[in-house]
Amino acid sequence: MRAIRKVLVANRGEIACRVIRTLREMGIASLAVHSDVDRDAPHVWMADEAVGLGAPRSYLDATLIITAGQRAGASAVHPGYGFLAENAQFAAACEDAGLVFIGPSPAAMRALGDKRAARKAAEDIGVPVVPGARQCDSPDAAAAAADRVGYPVLIKAAGGGGGKGMRRVHSREEIKEAFAGARREAHAAFSDDRLLVEKYIHPARHVEVQILGDGVGAVALGERECSLQRRYQKVIEESPSPGIDARTRSRLCEAAVKLAAATGYANAGTVEFLVGPDGAFYFLEVNTRLQVEHPVTEAVTGLDLVRSQIEIASGGALPVPPDPRGHAIEARLNAEDPYSQFLPSTGKILMLDWPTRPQTRIDSGIVQGSEVHPFYDSLLAKIICWGQDREQARRRLVTALRETTILGVHTSQAFIIQLLESEELRSGATHTTTIESRSWEPAAVPAEVLQLAARSAHTPAVLRTAGGALCDQYSPWHALGGFRMGA
Amino acid sequence: MSWTTVEIAGKVCRVAVERTAAGVWIGWRGRTVFVPHERRDAARGLSEDEVRAPMTGKVVRVPAAAGMDVREGDVLVILEAMKMEYRLASPHDGRVDAVHCAEGELVDLGKTLVTLSDAPAGTSGDGR
Repeated sequence: MRAIRKVLVANRGEIACRVIRTLREMGIASLAVHSDVDRDAPHVWMADEAVGLGAPRSYLDATLIITAGQRAGASAVHPGYGFLAENAQFAAACEDAGLVFIGPSPAAMRALGDKRAARKAAEDIGVPVVPGARQCDSPDAAAAAADRVGYPVLIKAAGGGGGKGMRRVHSREEIKEAFAGARREAHAAFSDDRLLVEKYIHPARHVEVQILGDGVGAVALGERECSLQRRYQKVIEESPSPGIDARTRSRLCEAAVKLAAATGYANAGTVEFLVGPDGAFYFLEVNTRLQVEHPVTEAVTGLDLVRSQIEIASGGALPVPPDPRGHAIEARLNAEDPYSQFLPSTGKILMLDWPTRPQTRIDSGIVQGSEVHPFYDSLLAKIICWGQDREQARRRLVTALRETTILGVHTSQAFIIQLLESEELRSGATHTTTIESRSWEPAAVPAEVLQLAARSAHTPAVLRTAGGALCDQYSPWHALGGFRMGA
Repeated sequence: MSWTTVEIAGKVCRVAVERTAAGVWIGWRGRTVFVPHERRDAARGLSEDEVRAPMTGKVVRVPAAAGMDVREGDVLVILEAMKMEYRLASPHDGRVDAVHCAEGELVDLGKTLVTLSDAPAGTSGDGR
């Protein structure tokens, strides 16, 4: 057993806050790191200690982060997702510096986290993979591979996920620009610009299996359906999947556990599959980290996956997988304008009001007064609702979203409500292209509501104080009385 | 934080309202709407010859150069925000008058990045 007493959380936003909450519950000290622009961010003041790193990109600076951990006497590092979470070099450097990396071993990360290597590992043990090429170092190589498997194809980053560094290509003419764009995005997001090419399976469901391994064996904690995606970014996730039967479920779980055991996988991971309309499935990739959508698995299993990660990292036993209970759905709230080409929206959160209701979980990285910066991922918060069945979970989530107020930046909130109310989602007939296959026009807002804008426009928002400084009269930081976070 | 009520078809509803220098944010039953204050340039109408930043972000590449002839849809500037790339395309055929941004620059929402003029008469595409 390796005692973990203080954990450096090498991340920001909602996932850093979520990890810190479990650390608190376990009585483990938390050390936050932050960039200069995140000095006032919730994860910083939620943690027991915090260290400033500097530039916006410093969450990717392995040396800086490890040094901060050593100086503060941390015993372990939790990478969250994104940033350095799937960087084997970082994991190795943590271990070399005497910090337990809460995640798989660098060797397992190299074997599975890298999409090319993972495809090979899956093929070797007889798990079907999407046809394609693992090695595409030039637009010409990508074109050759695409010609071989047939268009359309996907060009993907070998070193990371989340739709960053990914392009769908319909013809040879598009390869060159798509390759260059994917490479730039991959480099910016993962500091790794290697690419691969895969045949594009259509229509397909995206179904993934949550695994926990201990380096020898592994357990599967059921699946998550993540078919509702936009630009390869998941929008709504649920567990169990409404689109697979018990037989497919057990075959998926079996394949995932087999892959984890064959590669000596330790800690939490996710094995992603595409499921075709005929029920045939293809291995996609392994995410060697905690996923954004892990709370839906937590909701149906009752497990705290961050706690499991820490227990495994300190040498503890794998949990016995509980029988899943009920249904859970998660909605991601992104800082983007769904009715204006999903353009990123930045600015200050002027007003934030979350619903308080049963079986509704909110994992948020923002509070009223937070700045939403252009430097980082657009995910602001997630709302996860559990129900005894799918319809109850769905209705609960719709209600929770209707009772949520976020002013100051545009968010995907209203679009998610539309999706949850759509016939496609109600029936469970969701595919990876459901969102892009039709237009989503915003419902009309009553004129009485809009007229409020005209009425309130006469009051100036910015007042000049006696001292002459500009002061936003609505900022909670300038309120004379007390205010309550999240109220 | 400011809540107000409004009567819709005889029923009182609760609406969230926040004012800023640029406009008014309104939140109603899960919908958020931003109503910009009327501005002089907005009243004048945005020129089709100005390509502006649709968001705050970083300029990653500027394929456009002053004096270049462009076709409608040609990519002029590639912006990045929140780790995703956005391509700003030419709204019409024409010539690039000036480029007002450089690679690596962080630009604010609404900044003019490229100005265009109409295509010189008789110009045709180069077969791209």
